[in-house]
Amino acid sequence: MNKQRKSALSRRQFLQVAGSTAVALSLPGILSACRPSSASGALKIGVLLPYSGIYAVLGESITQGMQLYFEALGNEIAGRPIELITEDSKINPDVAQQKVRKLVEQDEVAFVTGIVSSGVLAGLRDYFHDNQVLCLCSNAGSNAHSRAAKTPYIWRTSFTNWMAPHAMGTWAAQNVGRTAVISVPDYAAGENNVTSFTHSFTAAGGEVVAVQRTPFPNMGDPAPFMAELSATGADLIYAFYSGSAAVTFVKAYHDFGLAQQIPLTGAGFIVEEDVLPEQGAAAQGVKSTLFWSYVLDNPQNAQFKTDFHAFAGRDADVFAVQGYDTACVIDEMLKRTEGDTAVGQLIAALDGIQFDSPRGPFRLDAHSQAPEHNMYARDVQPVDGVLRNVILENLGPIVDPGDDSMG
Amino acid sequence: MDNFLLQLLNGLVTSMLLFIMAAGLSLIFGQMRVINLSHGAFYLVGGYMGLTAVKQWGAFWPALLLTPLLVGAMGWLAEQFLLRGRYGRERQLQQVLLTFGVALVLSDLAEWRWGAYTQTVPPPVFLATAVPLFGLQFPLYRLAIIAMGLLLALALALFLGRTRLGAILRAGVTHPHTVSGLGIDVERVFAATFAGGVALAALAGILGSPITTLYPGLDFEILILTIVVVVIGGLGSLRGAFVGALLIGLTDTFGKARLPEFSLFLIFAVMAVVLLVRPSGLFGVEEGH
Repeated sequence: MNKQRKSALSRRQFLQVAGSTAVALSLPGILSACRPSSASGALKIGVLLPYSGIYAVLGESITQGMQLYFEALGNEIAGRPIELITEDSKINPDVAQQKVRKLVEQDEVAFVTGIVSSGVLAGLRDYFHDNQVLCLCSNAGSNAHSRAAKTPYIWRTSFTNWMAPHAMGTWAAQNVGRTAVISVPDYAAGENNVTSFTHSFTAAGGEVVAVQRTPFPNMGDPAPFMAELSATGADLIYAFYSGSAAVTFVKAYHDFGLAQQIPLTGAGFIVEEDVLPEQGAAAQGVKSTLFWSYVLDNPQNAQFKTDFHAFAGRDADVFAVQGYDTACVIDEMLKRTEGDTAVGQLIAALDGIQFDSPRGPFRLDAHSQAPEHNMYARDVQPVDGVLRNVILENLGPIVDPGDDSMG
Repeated sequence: MDNFLLQLLNGLVTSMLLFIMAAGLSLIFGQMRVINLSHGAFYLVGGYMGLTAVKQWGAFWPALLLTPLLVGAMGWLAEQFLLRGRYGRERQLQQVLLTFGVALVLSDLAEWRWGAYTQTVPPPVFLATAVPLFGLQFPLYRLAIIAMGLLLALALALFLGRTRLGAILRAGVTHPHTVSGLGIDVERVFAATFAGGVALAALAGILGSPITTLYPGLDFEILILTIVVVVIGGLGSLRGAFVGALLIGLTDTFGKARLPEFSLFLIFAVMAVVLLVRPSGLFGVEEGH
């Protein structure tokens, strides 16, 4: 799937291109020394997301969130028409590597955005760093890219994995119980959740009694995990699952009667809008922390939900918010550079960008190169007959520490 | 002890679903010497078609009966128009690529028709409850799967052992040349086998979907496990499919329960050990007979 939005070259744009070409020709050496970074002509943005397979829903939502924002701008920033060039990452680091080379070297995009999987981000990190290409990551949350593997060329508009479990650890110890069992998929993001939750849960007086690491990416039938979780006798479960694993996990949790026995808490993705309709009543009462909820009450969110539904024909989810905010960051960034896309200028412009997002106040933190935003404690309850994540408490702003000192 | 019995039941559920899949794959290989790489895709499509049927009619059982028939018809068409004329040892690469192509086309069509969201077939209402068992609630539907799997195993064993068509199928595995020499229309047998094999995959798909759920990529996850079961049991053997499914289903479940980090590794370790001891699987027929 390759969605391109190409607009015909108007005479004015042609003159702009011709003009800048003439300038460039009169200054030989500049063009050969660096990638094109002209401040005129179409603004090409490389979008690398999964459009097929298990994360296709995420790719679609993030893209539509961006398109919605840009459409409202008339698809133009700083006088330059926006052209999104989308590529399917297939959640495969090797495929993603080829696609990003194609975007940067062949399409000559000004910068790249997208990237759902932490594995793909890890695989591309050196490419962005070595080639000095800016990447505005709109999903993958691996802590390392705000810490040890940080590079000036990767900034995140989404979150870091540390955030949700950190908030839940404190909240659960105060509100749910004193002993916890953790269940996560056996890969880097799962491990990020284990260390973060353990740190804040312990700091708040709780104790983690067991950690269950389940096969990734194919968890299969989670039934065997249920008996083991129940056998720990812990006060609560903390789980980090998303997509189909979230559906099967929550359904099994309900079907085996654990719901009456041991409360389930998790990072918000376990009961987000992409899986909640399929989980149905099984998800009711699941507590989670995330930086957004469908029912979050602020004017930006109300407007966003209405607009997104009109644009996409379905309800918004958190991934659509991430796409929308990414587009907003791009808008702010390019306004600050007045449309110039020289990488140094773009990076300088990102520092301190802030705006009111559907998720609440959003600020890009220059230290962790990731957002500072509110965390919300949520509970799945019916609202007007539809299950939603009702906000229990606004836990206030959170920002990644930028090192491993807090898990 | 309670925990052990509970996990044993969980293992049997996985085993029975794997058996239904493996029986189809093994049947097809036994007759046609074709490794059907589209078997997982037929599981997924069967599940999705079952989902549509359940939503349409609001009832589980008619969907459970009709979906395998429809998917079986698709299999019959695939055999008629794609596989026919491509049998034989020297064309094995063609067959493998062809069934792989069918798998890719089917999964893309499924994603186009049913989307990429995770979906589940709701189990029949009277089974959508749980019984207290070994200190936990055990979903009734899962017990029903064990029962249906065992019944199906019995029915298949009787069919292969006691009917004329069953005798032809058994003979086709061990003595394919004699069968065609006796004037039996091998092409019709092949068409019926392929249709029946993928119908079993569809049956597993709709039965298993309340548990595995349905999502893009599930087809290949299931396919790999099924191939492991058939390789362990011995290609072409129904008994092998049953024992292999039990071995893998229980290994998977107890692996997940006791050593979750190594559960995938354990499955392949079991396969490696079995193949070292018996290279053609537990109940496999030696090549060349």
